[in-house]
Amino acid sequence: MLQIDRITKTFNPGTPNEVRALRGVSLDLPNGTFLVVIGTNGSGKSTLLNAVAGSFFVDTGTISIAGQKITNWPEHRRAKFIGRVFQDPFRGTAPTMSIAENLVLASRRGKPRGLALALSHRVKEDLKARVRPLNMGLEERLDNPIGSLSGGQRQALTLLMASWIKPELLLLDEHTAALDPKTADQVIRLTYEIIERDKLTTLMVTHSMQQAVNLGDRIVMMHKGQVLHDLQGSERARVRPEDLLGRFEAVRRREQLDGSVAEMLATSYV
Amino acid sequence: MTLLIGALTLGLMLSLLALGVYVSFRIFNIPDMTAEGSVTLGASVVAALMVHGVNAFVATGVATLAGCAAGAITGVLATRCKINTLLSGILVMTGLYSVNLRVMGKSNVPLLEVKTLANFAENLGVRLFGGTGDLNVAGWSVGTRDASILLCVFAFVVVVCLLLYFFFCTDLGTAMRATGDNPAMICALGVSVDAATIFGLAVSNGLIALCGALIAQYQGFADVQMGIGIVVLGIASVIIGEALVGSRSVGLLITGTVIGSLVFRLLVAIALRWGLNPNDLKIVTALFVFVALVMPNLGRKYQSSRARSRQLSTSKAADIYAAD
Repeated sequence: MLQIDRITKTFNPGTPNEVRALRGVSLDLPNGTFLVVIGTNGSGKSTLLNAVAGSFFVDTGTISIAGQKITNWPEHRRAKFIGRVFQDPFRGTAPTMSIAENLVLASRRGKPRGLALALSHRVKEDLKARVRPLNMGLEERLDNPIGSLSGGQRQALTLLMASWIKPELLLLDEHTAALDPKTADQVIRLTYEIIERDKLTTLMVTHSMQQAVNLGDRIVMMHKGQVLHDLQGSERARVRPEDLLGRFEAVRRREQLDGSVAEMLATSYV
Repeated sequence: MTLLIGALTLGLMLSLLALGVYVSFRIFNIPDMTAEGSVTLGASVVAALMVHGVNAFVATGVATLAGCAAGAITGVLATRCKINTLLSGILVMTGLYSVNLRVMGKSNVPLLEVKTLANFAENLGVRLFGGTGDLNVAGWSVGTRDASILLCVFAFVVVVCLLLYFFFCTDLGTAMRATGDNPAMICALGVSVDAATIFGLAVSNGLIALCGALIAQYQGFADVQMGIGIVVLGIASVIIGEALVGSRSVGLLITGTVIGSLVFRLLVAIALRWGLNPNDLKIVTALFVFVALVMPNLGRKYQSSRARSRQLSTSKAADIYAAD
């Protein structure tokens, strides 16, 4: 479904702030895969997700979704295939517009928008029916501005919006990181339900090892813009949060070693 | 009474400008300086065309489209060329000054010999009221010409408001509102933020040029200076409107903007009547908008500083008790 082939991205090339955020990442997600991407800060996991979403164009390499090469598509065109939930609950919804209006906007994701009335009575009933399963009582508040809702409610709605029309690919960018633990739990449960129900191909970035182990059926660990580990099948089935933490620790130690070894060599030989 | 009717008529015409400013300033969050040029553009295009014998309705339509074009250029500069939105507007506004002079050929074109929309309205009124004599409205005598122009402008503004309202309720319209509200979100839902912004600024400046075209025909001349300070005037109307309706719903805000424009015009008429020097009008308007923009912030700051001092005094008291 999603094919990423040796993509690279360097921010601010040729300046002191140069960051080689992606260094030849390749991934192949078959239909229905739930991939969880973990990694340290600055490992390039969010950059990878943004590269797929089209927030910027990659320097080299190609990205395809559903057999279509989308490497040079602008972000809004890729929206035809991609449903997206941001880390910041405020980014996924238009605050001054009503819940119903936000949902209707999502119901036309990637479709041409014309001069038909957005909200008819029939559409509203349809919206109610789909909001009710959230069990947040929002179906009675469809005309309220979304800005009056809590972060968790907004994130749940964003999730609903991203999957309103079944997306070829669902992108989740640490979408529970800004929520309190209880709300995060609810949103994660909802995420799982939606993905299971629609058999969505998903790419989720997270900081939580627990989420990584509980949710996905494949785990990719990134480090310095490259894929360090790719856990699939039986290896993935056996993994526990401690194993993942162990691998992070190993990375950290190796890095320390690199630094200290270089220093030692410098002091003794230069 | 004539003064009142004049103020209402001008207020209604300027409400089109206020609606244009509402679209750019409130829906897209862009303080669009193009307005200063496009209101004159509307007037100069309508004047130039009508002097050359073009029908008033056609000329007004062309003037509106010219305004749309000006707005679209600002939109392209701001989005595709990534120029700061304020600067994009200023660039187009500055360029339009020369364009307007070119269109008119001189700095002022009188519309005395031609059949303007005001004349059409007057004819309609004569047929409707059955005569050219003064009308008796609740004891006041009102000129037929004034009354019929006021009625026609009112009907026209109502139609424009309804069209605008329904537009903002369509799929395309809601997408445009969302563009101003949260560009990241609407982009993720498949709408090009650039295209929506360009289109929005075109609609906004189309309305503003339409306002210019109507005012030129009402006043009987187009002048290259008529756009100066017009953005602040529009913003003032929008702010008054928001204060009056105090809501975020589009329908109410559109209505509020029109009422705001009327109220503002009436206030100006009263102030002038009381002896305000017309030369001081612009600074009074600017000060008004300044105060209206700053007030909410000041209020909040005052409240929070009071809350803090209260907190400080209680904690100080707690310290004293603790020391005991």
